[in-house]
Amino acid sequence: MNAQHHGHALRPYPPGDLAIWVFILAELSAFFALFAAYAFTRLRHLDLFNEMQLTLDSNAGMINTLLLITGSWCVARSVSAIKANHVSHSAHWLLAAIGTGVGFLIVKYFEYGAKFALGINLDTNLFYTFYLSLTMFHALHVVLGMVILFFVWNKTRRGGYSAHDHRGLETGASYWHMVDLVWIILFPLVYVMR
Amino acid sequence: MAPHLLNVLWIALLVATVLTWMIGKTGHTGTAAVIAILIIAAIKGWMIIQDFMALRRVTFLWRALVLGWLLLTLCIILLAYWLGLK
Repeated sequence: MNAQHHGHALRPYPPGDLAIWVFILAELSAFFALFAAYAFTRLRHLDLFNEMQLTLDSNAGMINTLLLITGSWCVARSVSAIKANHVSHSAHWLLAAIGTGVGFLIVKYFEYGAKFALGINLDTNLFYTFYLSLTMFHALHVVLGMVILFFVWNKTRRGGYSAHDHRGLETGASYWHMVDLVWIILFPLVYVMR
Repeated sequence: MAPHLLNVLWIALLVATVLTWMIGKTGHTGTAAVIAILIIAAIKGWMIIQDFMALRRVTFLWRALVLGWLLLTLCIILLAYWLGLK
């Protein structure tokens, strides 16, 4: 570990591969556009959005927020562990993070299941078009994040990363944090604010 | 970041999430609720970017890009909601 990790100097680049950060910025831009589109479409259909928002399961949204935050924390703990050369701990934390992703998808499965059982789909109304497309688009990112974390976990448990070389682990971690960050805005916007 | 500090952040983020959920559950609406929810989201996002993503110790440009995204997104949402509350 060098002095940079102790805050004496600023790192020139964020943790992980630069390519993932270009990808992360592109993803953030896409979600910015979607959130702005939601907010301004709502402005023109206030009554519909306010009425339909009450039909959402905010408990499920809250549980999923807790799961993603916990997943993000697990990944941060994994990076912290590898920096201390605790390889097996690092792998365990990654596995725990993947577990929170599984939990997120299970909650989503039941949440969508309840809506589909009522005959709700993308064409039901403008609110549900946004709700389903925004949350499904986000859920795809959760799946992609889990796939990335799976490969990173596999390499970690085989001893592929160490305190001196863990760029790949940080790459996966950065992507996973982005998935969490986006949900931190999506949850209050779609489920709570009115 | 030291593991115990990560643990503290994790707990703080969980508490903030429950707070946001409670604002909705207790039926709070309007300007004060919207501002409170957006401030909580800003604090949570800030913690995630600075300490989970570990951009705190990265050059200003990178931090500004991601923190700027957070603030811009929340400001656009605030603007749209404010227009709706008028």
